[in-house]
Amino acid sequence: MHELSMADAMVKTVLDVAEKNDATEVLEVTIEVGKLTMLNPEQLKFLLDVLIENTLLEGAEINIVELPVKVKCNSCEYTGSADMDGSDHYLAIVKCPECGERNVEITAGRECNVKNIKIEKEEGDEDA
Amino acid sequence: MKMHKIADIEIQHDIMVANRKLADKNQEILDNAGVFSVDVLGAIGSGKTSLIETLIEKMDHKIGVIAGDVISKFDAGRFEKYNIPVVGLNTGKECHLDAHLVKHAFGDMSLDKIDLLFIENVGNLICPVDFDLGSHIRMVVISVSEGDDTVEKHPLIFKDADLVVINKVDIAEAVGADQDKMVADVKILNPDVKVIKSSLKTGQGIDDIINSIENFMKE
Repeated sequence: MHELSMADAMVKTVLDVAEKNDATEVLEVTIEVGKLTMLNPEQLKFLLDVLIENTLLEGAEINIVELPVKVKCNSCEYTGSADMDGSDHYLAIVKCPECGERNVEITAGRECNVKNIKIEKEEGDEDA
Repeated sequence: MKMHKIADIEIQHDIMVANRKLADKNQEILDNAGVFSVDVLGAIGSGKTSLIETLIEKMDHKIGVIAGDVISKFDAGRFEKYNIPVVGLNTGKECHLDAHLVKHAFGDMSLDKIDLLFIENVGNLICPVDFDLGSHIRMVVISVSEGDDTVEKHPLIFKDADLVVINKVDIAEAVGADQDKMVADVKILNPDVKVIKSSLKTGQGIDDIINSIENFMKE
């Protein structure tokens, strides 16, 4: 359970960028979380909602996008999605979806990325 | 008149990537100091600390230990008895070590006095998986008493492992665990990894663990 420290790091990252860009409000935050990370998106969302209270992010819409697992097979050269119908996503790290061999490397699905934010800012005094 | 403007700002800050960069730097520090390091991961009570103690006694190397724990003084205290460089890393509320914490520990560790560093991670088969520390190898230690379905239930840590130790095999029968199933389960996830069945009580597998670590050191 390290959702709290991850959520905390995310809020700090966003606040830092928002302040540097003179944001008056943060409207939206998009976070990408790979399906193989040991992070539960529901818990992460809950903690983010708690942590943003009384900050510039309060009220912002937090989007958590789950990123799929991708693998590279060293037996048949298959690269790409590891989606396997109806199975849990761990099966993909065991078996290549193409040839069924076990010699697969994980190439995506372990991200924890603060992707982008939408902010509101004040432009300079145009009458001046 | 002040105008309000909406702006989209690309951040692309991946916390995992940031940790990996720090981990790479840690490995550079270790390489420059001529120190080989082993991240020791495993469940609570699987025998990580006892195994490291055995390796300190039996291996002909200048060993240091970073002992990570939620409250670090207990394990660190056990290692200090051997008069070797030890740093206790208190993670506080955290369930894993990360590269940043380990880098701090390097500051308190006499890297010039050692050639082999064990980093004992927090007892946990889940959270440490996400955090590379910059060690040269990851050794995962589990024991039969956690149940012979432990490997299946925590696939990712075994997929990433460089060396797997299945400990306490002397009591496998008493706890009704099929030790060969555990070995086979690891092999399904990670076909090339070396899996060693061990018992610190009988001494089974210890030489094999030492040889394996030494082989990695030669690579």
